[in-house]
Amino acid sequence: MNRGLWYKVIVRDRDGKVLSCENRGSRSMLGNWYRILYAHMASTSTSLVHTSGNSWGVINFGDNWKFVAAANEDYIGIVIGTGIAAVTIDDYKLDSQIMQGTGSGQMRHLASTPGWPSVAGSSCDFLASRTFLNNSGGPITVRESGIYCRVKGPTYYGYACIVRDILATPQDVPDGGSITIDYTLRITA
Amino acid sequence: MTEEQDKRTERTAIEALSSEARLSYKVEVTDKDGRVVQCEEGPSHSYVRQWNEILHLQAAAIYIGGGGTVKMTDGSTESNAYYSVRSFASNAGIGVDRSGLRVGKDSTPVSINDYALGAPIAQGTGLDQLEHQLTYFTAPSVVGSTLSFTMQRSFVNHSGAAISGIQEIGNYIEFTGSMLGRVALGFRDVLVSSFSIPDGGAITVTYTLKVIA
Repeated sequence: MNRGLWYKVIVRDRDGKVLSCENRGSRSMLGNWYRILYAHMASTSTSLVHTSGNSWGVINFGDNWKFVAAANEDYIGIVIGTGIAAVTIDDYKLDSQIMQGTGSGQMRHLASTPGWPSVAGSSCDFLASRTFLNNSGGPITVRESGIYCRVKGPTYYGYACIVRDILATPQDVPDGGSITIDYTLRITA
Repeated sequence: MTEEQDKRTERTAIEALSSEARLSYKVEVTDKDGRVVQCEEGPSHSYVRQWNEILHLQAAAIYIGGGGTVKMTDGSTESNAYYSVRSFASNAGIGVDRSGLRVGKDSTPVSINDYALGAPIAQGTGLDQLEHQLTYFTAPSVVGSTLSFTMQRSFVNHSGAAISGIQEIGNYIEFTGSMLGRVALGFRDVLVSSFSIPDGGAITVTYTLKVIA
């Protein structure tokens, strides 16, 4: 195996002190990742369920896979949730997503831009990272993470869940604290 | 524990934990009557850096002038690569040897910086040339917790003599740069065996792309 995806989770308190860190291999690149890949490699379209639940499919298109996200955008980029449903190959969204905001159970989504791939030795790493701030007034326990990307079907634009993980350890984010999720896609020759 | 042992341990742990995405190949040689005369199957170990670089163009929505840099199969570097409908396209037509699956004669081990096959076989019916058939795909299918699809291409030998020493296979993928269609190496494998294709025979390469949740 020369290609792997894994994630790193760091929780900090309001002073920036690291409270928890988890670094594990992701087992959850979803079927949708490969459906988009197929559409591009074969220059065609195929079935795919969008995060909206609509079976709008995917066609090869320039915007596909885009998951660079601006601040406050909770429909694209790295996302987090509180759900614990086991990952399945046809998952099309998080089990229970934490939405953008400062209300109860909400977190502020910061901007996220995937970094340029870097080569070190025989490996090439592609890193994406996003931080979420808890200004809800109470603690929030994060149990799942994933990636939503832009996708276009033959008719409609939408978003697709291409990665989903259940965290090995539920991460308690205190009020005023933050959680940062890193996803790294590594190729090793 | 030495530093090298540390690295091996880390790599083993990473591989064990992140083994959900798998690429494998099958290579089959048939004679002029269609009989299988040589076959090899195995796991691929061979995505190369351009794969991640083109994925980055898409994920980060690198636009024209955004500085996307990808080395092409001719050895030159495209420094104005950007996200596009053509990223990863591999569905090469009949007689097209600039993209799609390729075979070659080089046995140099795969490097992360490989940008082409070491000695690719060209399209044609001349000496040491093969007729490139369509690179085609099967649609994704789900069985249990696994989704997979395949890509396949046959190369027919009408050169008038056997072609021996086939030792590498790979996929040339398209991307877009400087308003033009570009081609880069996506993955490459060095075969365990050296393959020989009799005159009138063919070699067929099949890659299976699989993900397990």
